[in-house]
Amino acid sequence: MAGVSMKDIKLRIRSMESTKQITKAMEMVAASKLRRAQDNVTRSRPYFETIYATMCAIARSSGSFTSPYLESREVKKSCYVVIAGDRGLAGGYNHNVLKLAEAEMAQRSVTVVPIGKKSVENFRAHGYDILTDAYIQAGSMSVSDCFTLAKDLCGRFLAGEFDEVRIVYTGFVSILTQQPTAMTVLPLQGEGEPEAAPSETIYEPDSETLFAAIVPEYLGGLLYGALCECVASEQGARRTAMDSATKNAEEMIGDLSLKYNRARQGAITQEITEIVAGSTGS
Amino acid sequence: MATFKLKIVTPDEAMFDGEARSLTVRTVEGDVCILPGHINFLTALGMGEAKVVPAEGEARRAACIGGMLSVNGEQVTLAPTTFEWADQIDLSRAERAREQAQEKLAHREKLNDHEFAIAEAKLKRALVRSSVASRR
Repeated sequence: MAGVSMKDIKLRIRSMESTKQITKAMEMVAASKLRRAQDNVTRSRPYFETIYATMCAIARSSGSFTSPYLESREVKKSCYVVIAGDRGLAGGYNHNVLKLAEAEMAQRSVTVVPIGKKSVENFRAHGYDILTDAYIQAGSMSVSDCFTLAKDLCGRFLAGEFDEVRIVYTGFVSILTQQPTAMTVLPLQGEGEPEAAPSETIYEPDSETLFAAIVPEYLGGLLYGALCECVASEQGARRTAMDSATKNAEEMIGDLSLKYNRARQGAITQEITEIVAGSTGS
Repeated sequence: MATFKLKIVTPDEAMFDGEARSLTVRTVEGDVCILPGHINFLTALGMGEAKVVPAEGEARRAACIGGMLSVNGEQVTLAPTTFEWADQIDLSRAERAREQAQEKLAHREKLNDHEFAIAEAKLKRALVRSSVASRR
């Protein structure tokens, strides 16, 4: 009886160990990818912040002219760009951002631009109106892909296909913390107080031509920035998840080894007792 | 000599952050030169050469494509999509890209409008790069 259970325990330990090896390897892969993604985030962040701040400043001081990009229309239809990962096994990463997106979209008429395989699969399965599913690989999107998408979105926004554009992504706070975030990118949002002297800025060639040229760039920049944050967040989340999986596996192996040793000891004790009993018996 | 704060950021990298005496860039309307004390200004960038004169040291030239330029008080921000210092441009690569684009454009009838636009943009970029790089 003891032998069978010992064999069982041994098998379980072995399978635990191979699981541990896999999670350990995934953790190390994620850690090295994370380093690169983190570099990317720190390098692209100044651009991301600068263009966002500049556009907000423009939106604030826009008393002197109007642009379709600045007007907030009554929101009949929204466009959501939802960025999630390409792969699972990243803890709550995909789930959290998709949950936030669905909460934001509830009770509204929406069209979705899913980016990343998990995001595409999710919205397709739930029957959302999908604008394009060309961006199934979040990991391999380049700057120029972002600009193409931005140009497309701006065109549709101007044509009145939707009245606002929002991005749902996961902000990279630190290696251990990732924050799902929703952000309105169109129409332009002027945060804070209007500036005192709005008319003193020169716009060249004129505000409308200018906006037609720079708003797609701004949107493309924001998309790329959000994407960098997402890639880093995904790796961060995966690293953390795999780290805890490895720790759990170690703990279970410890428990099982203890049980195994007890069973082994028990078996030996029993054997000795039997031998002793046998020898005194004869 | 008077200086202003200049920040040059691209999606890939922060290229410059510091004091500068002048900045010349090509906008959609033509070249402009920003000096200290400029009025608030906002414009879209074209494709061309940019010249930065830092507070100390020599003027530096670069290929600067797309994006925007904003002047807000003493803070000047240049946010181009592509910005490469002249000494970092790979001239042979730019030449190769130019040849490829020209080859493509030679068969105009085979391309649809979108492909044509892409090839044309590639050619323009390559031309800007090689002209900036070859004049160093």
